[in-house]
Amino acid sequence: MTATATSPQFAIPQAAPDYHALNAMLNLYDDNGRIRFDADHQAVDAYMRDQVEPHTMRFTSTRERLAYLLDNNYYDHRIFDRYSDDFLDSFYDHVEHQGFTFETFLGAFKFYASYALKTFDGSQYLEDFPQRCAAVALELADGDEQRAIEYADAIISGRYQPATPTFLNLGKAQRGEAVSCFLLRIEDNMESISRGINAALQLSKRGGGVALLLTNLREAGAPIKRIEHQSSGVVPVMKLLEDSFSYANQLGARQGAGAVYLNAHHPDIMRFLDTKRENADEKIRIKSLALGVVIPDITFELAKRRERMALFSPYDVERVYGVPFADISVTEHYDEMLADDRIHKTYIDAREFFMTLAELQFESGYPYMLFEDTVNRANPIKGRVTMSNLCSEILQVQEPSTYREDLGYEHVGRDISCNLGSLNIAKAMDGGLAGSVETAVRALTAVSDHTRLDCVPSVRRGNEESHAIGLGQMNLHGFLGREGLRYGSDEALDFTDMYFMMVAYHAYRTSHAISVERGVRFTGFEDSVYARPAGEGNYFDRYVDGTYRTEPRTDTVRKLFARFGVAIPSADDWRELQTEILRDGIYNAYLQAVPPTGSISYINHSTSSIHPIAARIEIRKEGKTGRVYYPAPYMNNENLDMFEDAYTIGWKAIIDTYAEATKHVDQGLSLTLFFPDTATTRDLNKAQIYAWRKGIKTLYYIRIRQQALEGTDVEGCVSCML
Amino acid sequence: MTDITSIASTTPRTVRIADDAMMAASISPAQYRYHHGSRVRPINWNRIEDDKDLEVWNRLVANFWLPEKVPLSNDVPDWRALSERERITTVRVFTGLTLLDTTQATIGEICQIEHARTEHEQAVYTNIAFMQSIHARSYSSIFSTLCSSEQIDEAYRWAVGNDILQERVDTVLEQYESDDPLKRKVAATLLSSLLLYAGFYLPLYFAARGTMMNTADMIRLILRDKAIHGYYSGYKFQRGLETRSAEDQRMLRDFTMDLLERLYELEIEYSEDVYAGFDFLPDVLAFVRYNANKALMNLGYPTRFAAEETQVSPEILAALSPSANENHDFFSGSGSSYVMGKAEETDDDDWDF
Repeated sequence: MTATATSPQFAIPQAAPDYHALNAMLNLYDDNGRIRFDADHQAVDAYMRDQVEPHTMRFTSTRERLAYLLDNNYYDHRIFDRYSDDFLDSFYDHVEHQGFTFETFLGAFKFYASYALKTFDGSQYLEDFPQRCAAVALELADGDEQRAIEYADAIISGRYQPATPTFLNLGKAQRGEAVSCFLLRIEDNMESISRGINAALQLSKRGGGVALLLTNLREAGAPIKRIEHQSSGVVPVMKLLEDSFSYANQLGARQGAGAVYLNAHHPDIMRFLDTKRENADEKIRIKSLALGVVIPDITFELAKRRERMALFSPYDVERVYGVPFADISVTEHYDEMLADDRIHKTYIDAREFFMTLAELQFESGYPYMLFEDTVNRANPIKGRVTMSNLCSEILQVQEPSTYREDLGYEHVGRDISCNLGSLNIAKAMDGGLAGSVETAVRALTAVSDHTRLDCVPSVRRGNEESHAIGLGQMNLHGFLGREGLRYGSDEALDFTDMYFMMVAYHAYRTSHAISVERGVRFTGFEDSVYARPAGEGNYFDRYVDGTYRTEPRTDTVRKLFARFGVAIPSADDWRELQTEILRDGIYNAYLQAVPPTGSISYINHSTSSIHPIAARIEIRKEGKTGRVYYPAPYMNNENLDMFEDAYTIGWKAIIDTYAEATKHVDQGLSLTLFFPDTATTRDLNKAQIYAWRKGIKTLYYIRIRQQALEGTDVEGCVSCML
Repeated sequence: MTDITSIASTTPRTVRIADDAMMAASISPAQYRYHHGSRVRPINWNRIEDDKDLEVWNRLVANFWLPEKVPLSNDVPDWRALSERERITTVRVFTGLTLLDTTQATIGEICQIEHARTEHEQAVYTNIAFMQSIHARSYSSIFSTLCSSEQIDEAYRWAVGNDILQERVDTVLEQYESDDPLKRKVAATLLSSLLLYAGFYLPLYFAARGTMMNTADMIRLILRDKAIHGYYSGYKFQRGLETRSAEDQRMLRDFTMDLLERLYELEIEYSEDVYAGFDFLPDVLAFVRYNANKALMNLGYPTRFAAEETQVSPEILAALSPSANENHDFFSGSGSSYVMGKAEETDDDDWDF
């Protein structure tokens, strides 16, 4: 499979292509100490002229082009058959005349290296950016001409950007799934472990990251068939999963990627973490699998009280409580389990545990953290959230499956698939927020509706019942910088609060509209917090009763929204929506999840997610693009001070920003923390404690930046200077 | 059989506590060969004579890494896509680098220990020597991931049989036996700051074009270390030079320029040989001159080549930055930016919630 990589393997040109050199000039100041943005624009021109145009297949008309792509099995005819030739002519004429150009070299390079359709031999491009958007829009719209134009306009203008699996795959005949993320539980039996590995292979083959829950597995030394000291615990399962992920990839387009989550109170927790040690033994070292630790409130309380923390045998817990370990709230049952002699316990020091987490985050960036009790308090759907995904923004309930001896399903539980897409905050503000949210929610719902993962029945059932989607946001820092607001300032926090409140409003409004149009609500709506009577703990009470503000608290932000002509929904609007939802329900069990947006934010000309920029000139390195330089969107030599990097801005402003957004997001947000290498484990711990107290649900990577030792750096290098 | 009770009953010998004079006369173990019979002093990291020693030590410790952390096997598809000549050249270049790192690990750093200005400087060289062995080891990790045993053996035979490569090492090794410790430092600095870079060019060139990214990650980790190694030997050379007579200073300056010239010629010859037929050769030569200047700056001398002779392609130069601030994609590699963390306990105030 790896042999049929879809990227064009052009021979490495021996004459240095000047677009790479031009792009790299971004990272070297000119003689006047100014950043050479113009060099990057020249790099785009050179790249289009020297690389793209000579390698693009030419057609005389849309009909000829589509006929070629359909006859040669590049495009899926089932999608194009639903539209008339006349419509397609005018549709392509429309999208190709939107005046689209790439604003950065990385945007163009990334698009052509990773997204554009190429001939099977990889020698020629068959799509440009508007044509890729068109194919995506046509599949999403499923024959609805009006919607096809709506989706295409939103994507080409940059207001809405589908996540990579959707943007890469739709319209194509040879393709993976359009879904980004899968989350699977593993239960404490061999059938479930085998199914987990099988799912990791099957889902990686189709694209998307897969996360698995290990919390329920019995610990190393636990009994098997009541014989003591038989189990080897979670680490060997991690090794099996890591190898499975590296074996399977999506037609070479995307390396299989996986994550595993483990509760902090699982007895194997230290062995789990040690797999990421720099000096770990090869037999237990985990290189590419991502790790996440599920931390309940009690762990923080124990650390505060300087106490040791008990680790509970999942094997015993399941026997005592009759449910898997993950389905027990450790916080609620801590004292009870401590007193129960039937449950085997070991102890570690709680503060040392936090210090170990921070040490490993320095060395490897892992583990992610999931604050279990915060997540479950905020979860509107009945059930328990026990894990997250590869990017720590998906937070949904699951239900365990049981298997027969032949690995067939005895009971098909519910697991998670989630497709993602993000609004570009700046362009959505420019082009109409309400409409952008509605278009995005409909586009994401279309992907969920078209997804049928027969290879993992529990995922299929979960998707069919929940229609869960993940609407994200990106380019917050770019927008703030453009408007002269400093990231983390009072005004910026106010804007973030109001912006996310409006996104939530329009997302629920749209999901309600879809529910009415189809007469279908998600399964389990009646048991959710959305269905509780108004004033009795209904999800929307907080917007109606004044718990959450529904208007800006600063004058600057009030004027900003007025200037953009964006109307802010009032408490009355929320009340009306609440009444309608109580009557009709909503279509999607989950609506929002804010992903980290790597690749797509480059082609969309955005800053990542709602993070601050990592650097004014970011050095981006990926498997497919090499080392490329990316200037912060909307930054110029005059407004540089609005574009402080994340290391300078510091963790507090980032957490404060995320805390504002978190209030309005039903799932999670990928939150990376940035530290200079002068930080210690204590600084990381302080930030984590602060995040937990501010109601942050999950923490994603820790990134560490080391400055060159004075005297060893390259002169005149933008990224070397603070 | 010794009677246990008799040992227990002997009176403990009284220890004479060293006075200031005895402390001042004591030596570090590395100086013992010149001062047999002297009292030997343990290293004391709580009495730092030169802050640079601790600063560099801390940086080296923070930068510790092992080749196993880089997922080199992700480069296998790229490796297959390279031309036969590109593959052979890569293996040869890396064998050449292995030879230099082996030299530096087993002699180059070690020979600087006995004349170190401080006991902490000695410790720093042991640390650097170990990392040089890691570097030498890491090329083998690349080989074992990408190549067959025959290809590897062929490359080692090429390295041993290659006259220019041998002469390059000879020239440096000769200086490592010099009676003048500063000459050893000049040779060590030139090796770390000049000789390796023609070899580093190829992986950086590949990486700037989006291929062999994980190999480049490993090379960048090595570069991150080399920048410090060359800087440190050069720094210590300058401290030593300050104590020398004006005549000695002139002599060492001439010596340095002469050795630089010889090594530069060899590096050019080597580059022309190993990269024969590649269009980027002129850029490699500019890169070598750029690094020759860098080596001289480390030693505290003015540069040898004019700015226009050292115009390296921006993408190579930008990739050379030792600052670990790239924003890598975790899904395809491990990056070259992680460091060992400094552990510090939290106190009760941190947990005040």
